[in-house]
Formats: sequence, C-alpha cells, structure tokens
Amino acid sequence: MEFSLLAAAAIAAGAFWLMIRWEAKRGNAAGCALDIWEAGITSAVAGVFIGRLTAMISAGINPFSDPGQILLVRSGVSTVGAVLGTLATYLFLARRDIVGGLDAVAPAALAALAGWHGGCLATNGCLGTESTLPWAMTLDGSTVTRHPVELYAAILLAIGAIGIALWKEHGRPWPLAPTGVALFVAGGVRLVTEPMRISLAGGPILLYGTGCVIGATLLGWSAITHTRSPA
Amino acid sequence: MAAPSVVGGALRRIAPLIAALALSACSSGVSGPLPDPPTPVTAEEFTTLVASESPAVVNVWASWCLPCRSEAPLIAAGSQSHPDVTFIGLNVKDTESGASGFMAEFLSEADMIHVSDPSGRIPIDLGAGPGVPATFFYASDGALIATHRGVIDEPTLARFLDEIDR
Repeated sequence: MEFSLLAAAAIAAGAFWLMIRWEAKRGNAAGCALDIWEAGITSAVAGVFIGRLTAMISAGINPFSDPGQILLVRSGVSTVGAVLGTLATYLFLARRDIVGGLDAVAPAALAALAGWHGGCLATNGCLGTESTLPWAMTLDGSTVTRHPVELYAAILLAIGAIGIALWKEHGRPWPLAPTGVALFVAGGVRLVTEPMRISLAGGPILLYGTGCVIGATLLGWSAITHTRSPA
Repeated sequence: MAAPSVVGGALRRIAPLIAALALSACSSGVSGPLPDPPTPVTAEEFTTLVASESPAVVNVWASWCLPCRSEAPLIAAGSQSHPDVTFIGLNVKDTESGASGFMAEFLSEADMIHVSDPSGRIPIDLGAGPGVPATFFYASDGALIATHRGVIDEPTLARFLDEIDR
C-alpha cells in the first residue's frame, strides 16, 4: 500500500477512534460484549481484503496465481465488495447483539468514512469536476478550478456522524434507528456528490441507492415497531 | 479398525476444488501468436512521439514488474474510454519475448502503441526515477502536465485524463 493511502487509512481509523471515545463518555451502549474498536477495525481490514479480491477477479487477475497482487491496494478495491465484506464481518462479530452493535458503531462508522474522504488531502485526490465557485481548487500546475468533492463528502459525513451521536445522547432513538440514518446518510452523501466526481466508468450508484433505501426502511421499521410495542 | 478422521474426509471432499484452482492458476491465459515486441526508440524519437497533436498518456511498464500487471486493466480501460488521447506503452529494461508475452496477456484489449527503452533512461530523465510503473500525462502541445510514480488508481487516472483531454 502506498504511503499516502496509509495516511488516509490512518486518518479514517483516527476519526473512528475519536468518535468511539467521544461517545463512550456519553453512555454509548456499545453492545455489552462487543469491543467496537476491535470489531470495527477487523471488519474494515476484512472488507478491504474482500474488496481487493473482488477487484482482481473483476479485472481477470487470478488471486491464486498472483497472490502478491492482493497487497497492491492502490490498483483498485471494489467498493461493493469492500462494503459487503465489512458489513458481513461486523455482523458476524456482533452476532450476540446485532442491533446494539450496529447502533453503537453507526456514528463512528460515519466518522471513519469522513476521515477516509478527508484523507484525500494526503493522497492529493480531493478534486472533481470543473467549478467556478469561490472555493474551487486546482491541481498542481493547472489553471482549471475544480470542486473539492471529497472534502464536501467528508464534511457532510462528519455532520451526519456528530448529529447521530448527539441524537443518541439526547433523543433516545429507537433501536436500529441510528443504523438506518447512518446508512441513509452514507449512501445519500455518495449519491449527491457522485456527479461531481470524475471516473472512467462511473461509481456504483446502485450500491449507494440501495444503502439509502435500506437505511430508510430500517428507520421506518424501527418507528413502526416502536410505536406498536406496549410502553 | 480405526474410524476415518474428520479432517481426512473434509480434505477428500475439497480435493477436486483445490485441484481445479491449482490448474487454473497454472494456465497462462495466452493463446495464439504473440504480438510483435515494442519498437526501440531514442529519447528524441520519444519526444517526437508524445508531441503529436493529441494529448498523450505514457505508461512505463515491464514484464517483470508485478504491479504493472495489476495496473494494466485500468490502463486498457482508460485507452478505450478516451479515444482522443494517445496511449503509449513505454517498455523498459525488458526482453522481447517477455514484453510480447506481457502485451498478449495483460494489454491485449488496450488501444495503445508500444515502444521500448532497453536502458530505462527515458523515464529517469523525465523525472520519474528508476521505479516501474510510472505514468506521464502530456497536453496536446506536448507539455508534460503530470507525472505519477508507482501504481496509478482509477480516480487519479480519470482526473489527469480529464485535465489533458479538453
């Protein structure tokens, strides 16, 4: 892994850790038997591994004949594979209290995503499509001003993370509601910012849309079951 | 008589799968005649090549370079999505047979021309250092816009292509 990507990963892990620490002081009911930090980091590493394998297979590279290439994360990690791998691993680790484990990690996961996108400052990869807005930025040696699209995403995700954490502290949300909102925010931020990104084949819009729908569904289901349950 | 071990039974069940994976790993994936090896160029010829009237991307590769294999599908995809950009493969410090085999296996779908620099001096003189891979981005007037050392990722390639292809 290239050092700039390591820096971005470190920023993401740092944001994850900070949010866990911040919430711990505010009574985050972190699924009693679950160490959120260890479960989160393990899930993320497993997700990157699965995402890399998915990207290799998609590109026609055999992981068995070229196992060394698994380490070349910069060559591509499938977003779909990484997201599904991370979620599956976390669900397995939190299997004793899935709802509690998901709600406990929701703000920290958004904070980690914010850190990952903000890590574009380390990878020099913040910029997207052309823009004439006052805060538009330029690539080194260029005169074309562009949207700092990854910073937009980082700011929106950070707002979402802090908002959910404050909601958990003061609002006593229904079970699964924080998870639903976090999924909706994560998918929505990517959907909103995607038109400002430059890519060869376009991002996995379907994945982001699915995240939004599942998040909204979880939130709705949580509200319905809460209002129907006896006090 | 001893009962068959659980481990032995499990191994027997997955043996065909292991054999199939091993066989697939051994196959090279190349069939048919190999392409001609890249044409050797001097530094002057290389400069003339990138100063043609279209923007250009120069990808430095070698058959012995493991990361180049991983990068190749992305370079091929970029060459197909940006037909207005000339994609040039600069093969360095390589053998002819190795280069031909690499082109057939990893770059067969790429819309690019390949030249070679057996000494590997051209990318060093351009400031990329001796490491492989490296990628150079040239504007249509032949000006070097950006140099990327190491494996390039999709967002970076897309961003620099957008920068030169305008």
